[in-house]
Amino acid sequence: MKRSSTGIFIVLVISLFYAALMSGCASGTTKHATSVVDYLFPKTKDPVVTPGIPVLTLPLRVGIAFVPSAAGSDGRESKTSSGFTPFQGGGDLALTEKRKTDLMQEVAKNFKKYPFVKYIEIIPSAYLTPAGSFANLDQIRTMLELDVIVLLSYDQVQFTDQTLSFTYWTMSGPLVIPAQKNDTHTMLDAVVYDIASRKMLFRAPGTSLVKGKSMLVDQSQELRADGDTGFSEAAQSMIVNLDAQLALFKEKLKERPDEFKVVSRPSYSPSFSLGGGGGRGSVDNFMLLLFIVLGAYFVWNKRRG
Amino acid sequence: MARRLPVWTLVISAFALIIFYLPQLGEMFVYDRAAIIHGEIWRLLSGNLVHFSIAHLLYNLIAWLIIGTIIELNAYRYFPMLIFSSSFLIGISLLLLEPELNLFAGLSGVVSAAVTYLCLYGIGEKGVWRWLCAATLTGLTAKTVIELGTGTSLMLLMSEENFVPVPLSHLVGIITALILFIFLRTTSYLRRFSR
Repeated sequence: MKRSSTGIFIVLVISLFYAALMSGCASGTTKHATSVVDYLFPKTKDPVVTPGIPVLTLPLRVGIAFVPSAAGSDGRESKTSSGFTPFQGGGDLALTEKRKTDLMQEVAKNFKKYPFVKYIEIIPSAYLTPAGSFANLDQIRTMLELDVIVLLSYDQVQFTDQTLSFTYWTMSGPLVIPAQKNDTHTMLDAVVYDIASRKMLFRAPGTSLVKGKSMLVDQSQELRADGDTGFSEAAQSMIVNLDAQLALFKEKLKERPDEFKVVSRPSYSPSFSLGGGGGRGSVDNFMLLLFIVLGAYFVWNKRRG
Repeated sequence: MARRLPVWTLVISAFALIIFYLPQLGEMFVYDRAAIIHGEIWRLLSGNLVHFSIAHLLYNLIAWLIIGTIIELNAYRYFPMLIFSSSFLIGISLLLLEPELNLFAGLSGVVSAAVTYLCLYGIGEKGVWRWLCAATLTGLTAKTVIELGTGTSLMLLMSEENFVPVPLSHLVGIITALILFIFLRTTSYLRRFSR
């Protein structure tokens, strides 16, 4: 009789322990986002911007930058967290300045293959002021001699649900360690603007969903890693979409010559610009120097007899 | 003795200049993958004579004039064969091995073939010239292999323009010259041996 009441007591304690854990289950959300609309059309200013007819001078000088957030006056992106217990933390943004540069370089590398692109300038975040609008873009255009700018924005949401737990049987009974299920949704968006005419040429999004699991102790680290993976995957998806949108834009240029004007700089043949995927077999400075040395010695030797 | 005129070097240079200043010809002669697949096979050869910009033309032309002139003044044989075979093989290689390359232009692949040919002959000579040729050939080959491996141009930052380099064209040029040189040396040796 005594043994059975002891057993009931143990079962009761374990049940209460699990019940306590279940009641402690929580879910949280963290969102990091920047917006091209907030940057170009801030609420404090007149949002009506009348775009003109873009005159695209080939080869194009292109800039690429991440738009700053309109929320923080200190230039930091907006972050909202909800539903976390005091012991949990929402994921910090994995997108550091270095990571942004890496992502921009990936996009730039893809653009460089096009013969109608003269160069691509990677613009650090410090050059863009929050809610800077077209006035800020005009400054950058003058400073870096650009024709077109690729504005990148992002929206990353991380959901954390405390629904899983790991149970270890120890000498003194079960040890239950609560764990989390993390979902990271990321969207990167590239908007290509002709700065002078204020006209959007085309846009391309890239999305990603990363599913992960973590324990409470390393949750923050796991969320950061998932966030980083999310940005990498979204960037790859965006690059593919950029290529497709660019192809459509080239068709649009041919079909609607009244909406876009294409002119070429001296010594550039616009007819070569429409194919894409162009390459040049070119002697560079190193090769030319070698050949000049070779030629100079040949002439000197001949004269010497 | 009358001075030898570097005829082939001048003819190729003249063609490159004419094509550059007549954009209609450039469109007709540029390596255009889609057009080649649709039967315009002359582009495999003629793409090497087309250039996209004045800097592109000048760099290639200066290099070509130096190397071509030395080869012709030294009377190295089969230079026309080297020009045609390297041009054709560059076009074919790009078609087969670079399916994403829609357009290509530039004489540098043929220049690479010419400089390799010149240096292979030069290595057989004496004095400083021999070492200069050996150094040039080593530098050119190493640079081409590194560029092919990394997919970027080592000297991109120093060049005037930002462009997509195609080191495969240089490699094919080097290999063509090497094969022609070995073939000529072997046949010449066999001929002497049979006598």
